[in-house]
Amino acid sequence: MSRAVAVVGVGQTHHNSKLPDVNCAEMVRIAVDKALLDAGLTHEDIDAIVLGKAPDPLEGIMQPEQYLAGALGAHMKPIIRVHTAGSVGCTTALVAATHVASGIYGRVLTVAFEKQSEGNAMWALSPNYAFTPPMVAGAGGFFAPYCRAYIMRSGAPSHIGAVVAANARENAARNEHAHLKDPMTVEDVLASPMLWDPIRLLETCPSSDGAIAIVLANEELAKKGPRKPAWIKAGATFTEPMFVPGRDQVSPLAGRMCAKFVYEKAGIKDPWNEIQVAEFYVPFSWYEPMWLENLGFAPLNEGWKVVDRGDQKMGRHMPVNPSGGVLNTNPIGASGMLRFGEAALQVMGRAGEHQVPNVKNALGHAYGGGAQYFSIAILGTEL
Amino acid sequence: MNEPPKDRIKYVQTDLHLPYHYYAGDYKALYLNALKDKKILGSKCSKTGKVFVPPVMSSPDAHAPCTEIVELPDKGIVTTFCVVNVPVFGRDLELPYVVASVALDGADISIYGLVQECKAPEVEMGMRVQAVWKPDGERLGEHTDIKYFKPTGETKAPLESFIHRL
Amino acid sequence: MSKLRNVAIVGFAQAPIVDADPHHTAPEMLYPVVKQALASCGIERKDIDYQCAGSSDYIDGRAFSFSQVLEVMGAWPPVQDSHVEMDAVWAAYLVWVKMQAEECDTAIVAGFGKCSEGSPTHVLNLQLDPFYHASLGLDHISTAALQASAYMAKSGVDDAGLAEVVARNRAAGAANPDTQLRKAASAKDLQGTPFVTKPLREGYLPPIGETATVMVLAVEGKAEKMCDKPVWIQGVDHRIELQTIGSRDLTQSASTRLAARNALEMASVTSAREAQVVELGSATPAEELILRDALGLPSGLGGNGASADGPVVNPSGSPLCGNPLMNTGLLRLAEGFRQLSGRAGERAVAGAKRALVHASAGHCLQQNIVWVLGTERRWT
Repeated sequence: MSRAVAVVGVGQTHHNSKLPDVNCAEMVRIAVDKALLDAGLTHEDIDAIVLGKAPDPLEGIMQPEQYLAGALGAHMKPIIRVHTAGSVGCTTALVAATHVASGIYGRVLTVAFEKQSEGNAMWALSPNYAFTPPMVAGAGGFFAPYCRAYIMRSGAPSHIGAVVAANARENAARNEHAHLKDPMTVEDVLASPMLWDPIRLLETCPSSDGAIAIVLANEELAKKGPRKPAWIKAGATFTEPMFVPGRDQVSPLAGRMCAKFVYEKAGIKDPWNEIQVAEFYVPFSWYEPMWLENLGFAPLNEGWKVVDRGDQKMGRHMPVNPSGGVLNTNPIGASGMLRFGEAALQVMGRAGEHQVPNVKNALGHAYGGGAQYFSIAILGTEL
Repeated sequence: MNEPPKDRIKYVQTDLHLPYHYYAGDYKALYLNALKDKKILGSKCSKTGKVFVPPVMSSPDAHAPCTEIVELPDKGIVTTFCVVNVPVFGRDLELPYVVASVALDGADISIYGLVQECKAPEVEMGMRVQAVWKPDGERLGEHTDIKYFKPTGETKAPLESFIHRL
Repeated sequence: MSKLRNVAIVGFAQAPIVDADPHHTAPEMLYPVVKQALASCGIERKDIDYQCAGSSDYIDGRAFSFSQVLEVMGAWPPVQDSHVEMDAVWAAYLVWVKMQAEECDTAIVAGFGKCSEGSPTHVLNLQLDPFYHASLGLDHISTAALQASAYMAKSGVDDAGLAEVVARNRAAGAANPDTQLRKAASAKDLQGTPFVTKPLREGYLPPIGETATVMVLAVEGKAEKMCDKPVWIQGVDHRIELQTIGSRDLTQSASTRLAARNALEMASVTSAREAQVVELGSATPAEELILRDALGLPSGLGGNGASADGPVVNPSGSPLCGNPLMNTGLLRLAEGFRQLSGRAGERAVAGAKRALVHASAGHCLQQNIVWVLGTERRWT
């Protein structure tokens, strides 16, 4: 980024399987109002809006920025709507950051949401291409074979997934906005039924309704705000096709390249020791050890050892997903921005009960498609 | 001012019916038609020689045309798989069932298929399998002309031979 | 406004706009167009820093439809990429912003969508607020008809006036080998077609065909190597209004007026009349008249305001001659590029140095983008 960009306000809904007391516009408005309040701003201060969400069929509204223009305070303003599958929330935040970095916009409001209880999420997510008989219901069926390949190739013991899930739930209990918070032990997880072997029911993300809004500002305006901003030190989105022969589906190259690019830009040489907290996109528990490797926090085939040792738990070396992550809150379009937003909150010292102490750098990450879209941001206390 | 209605309208139910009529495109149509004759076709990249199943017009990695059509045997190996316990819409499959990524001999891209004629716990990564087709006269030029893959009983392929070819 | 980076359009390629291409899927339509666009600039995919696509899952009848383009955009090794669920002209905008942020120097923008596979009527109804508008069964033609009615009542333009607008666009389309309807039609013949939704007749509505489009953009320093006559972006702005049909004055396009004002200011140009070419993203004759008003251009009806000094409006024939959704906006920008870079063949507007390009999205011109293009760099 040529010009500095900072997060100056964050607002999110209390995510749940259904938010029945609000319609889409009202749900989004809750997050927007909270973010503006947080930043000490009003709609007049916003120069542009960048909206992100996953497929329109999840709510049955095509190009919802048109319907939501009023709720987003977008009347007579520029608005762009980004859609990059599961990674969309984080990509959207980065597109918004680019808007500020361009020098054309001083403050940009970025919003991501999903109200998937209003549509048939399972149907919208099941790979169902023309001429191809449906093989599996839900995204988990697509990813399970690659989790299996990870287990086989790394030699990971079979309980690792359950450990991830139980730990994530423990974290979620400390996050007032998280969807799932009820206590859950490793034994509970191992006792839960297999959905797509090797992924169990309690190792799978829920389907949630929710929204998050973030206000980004340039250096001058960020320094004027009431809060200590979180500076976006680097961000990038890298993508790869599905059908490349010999493609590594377990640790995709696009993810590794994205991480490398972002670390270099942020001046980070040793991510495991220079980043104090990471919010990365884990919709099925096995992706935690897989992404620990893909993001360079652990050597190849050793991500599961980090989990086994508990180094990624709250209070340990580098807490992963202190918010509870996607495993406990998954409004699909919002999830990527929740990672970005939670990383920002950690840097700003405003993560409440799930605050990690002494955060200088935080990582936010999301992925989407058949593990093809990767979006990563590094936020820090210093520029 | 009147009292608000006792029965609040809280939801609007909208059932959407959207008509779509998809084109297979010539490459996919070629593949589907060949299934009628128990033939599995792929296309070869003009630059790298890699074989894509089903055939593609252009290769995603070399960004080159793949106009040469080749025929592949209907057997290969299970590179990876999962055992499904969640029913899927539009199919009447008995649970649990196995969905596998099958690398046909000579293909550089795997296709998806069910694995049957064995118990789910017997399926392994590297297992050699053979396609089981619908009988003559029942094949219509659809993906389901291949009903499923069954194990051949041969020794499974070593992990290194396919771990990079999922 | 402080100095910005000079960004140019350096290449454009498209598939023919057809009712339906039965031989190719959307990505298969796109592949040769990508190759052609890159070749026209004398570059390879690796010379491109960034790609952005514009498309809609609902138009394509597939969730995550845009992921298909990854297979044909040469995205290996992995590339930096994004996608907007909007007409590709907004993907071009995103690319321009990214270049201003110095995050890339060269980029390709792709638009695609096989409208023939679904029913735009059904699908565009879903853009509307589900409670009060969509439930009425309003489609894009009905809402456009509401706007046309309001405009006719206010301006006094009549059915003959609408027919005249369409006829002159059809005449332009006849000279444009790249559009879909390439046969002129007289106002009288058009007036003879039945009403679809009054006051819009069948002859006043464009076909919604399909195509694939790719545009190449580059910053100063690189653009000159990729194109003999790069077309520079001198100004751009876009705005959205509230959707609720009853909440805004349908006879005016306030967001176009504002976007144009901002774009012209950025370009340091006083008015649209200083352009030699104007391309409007109007899909009905009433929309064209409303946009002309918003841009301070005469209606052109009955010879009104047609002068040697004014810009030529819609040399491409406008979307009235072909409205391939998700590509329509980018095609307007492409026309600006073609006209200013000597690639407009028979329909070239002689001596064109500046173009004003407009594109729209949503019902009743809800969202609008205005570009000012020129043969000269804006910032020196």
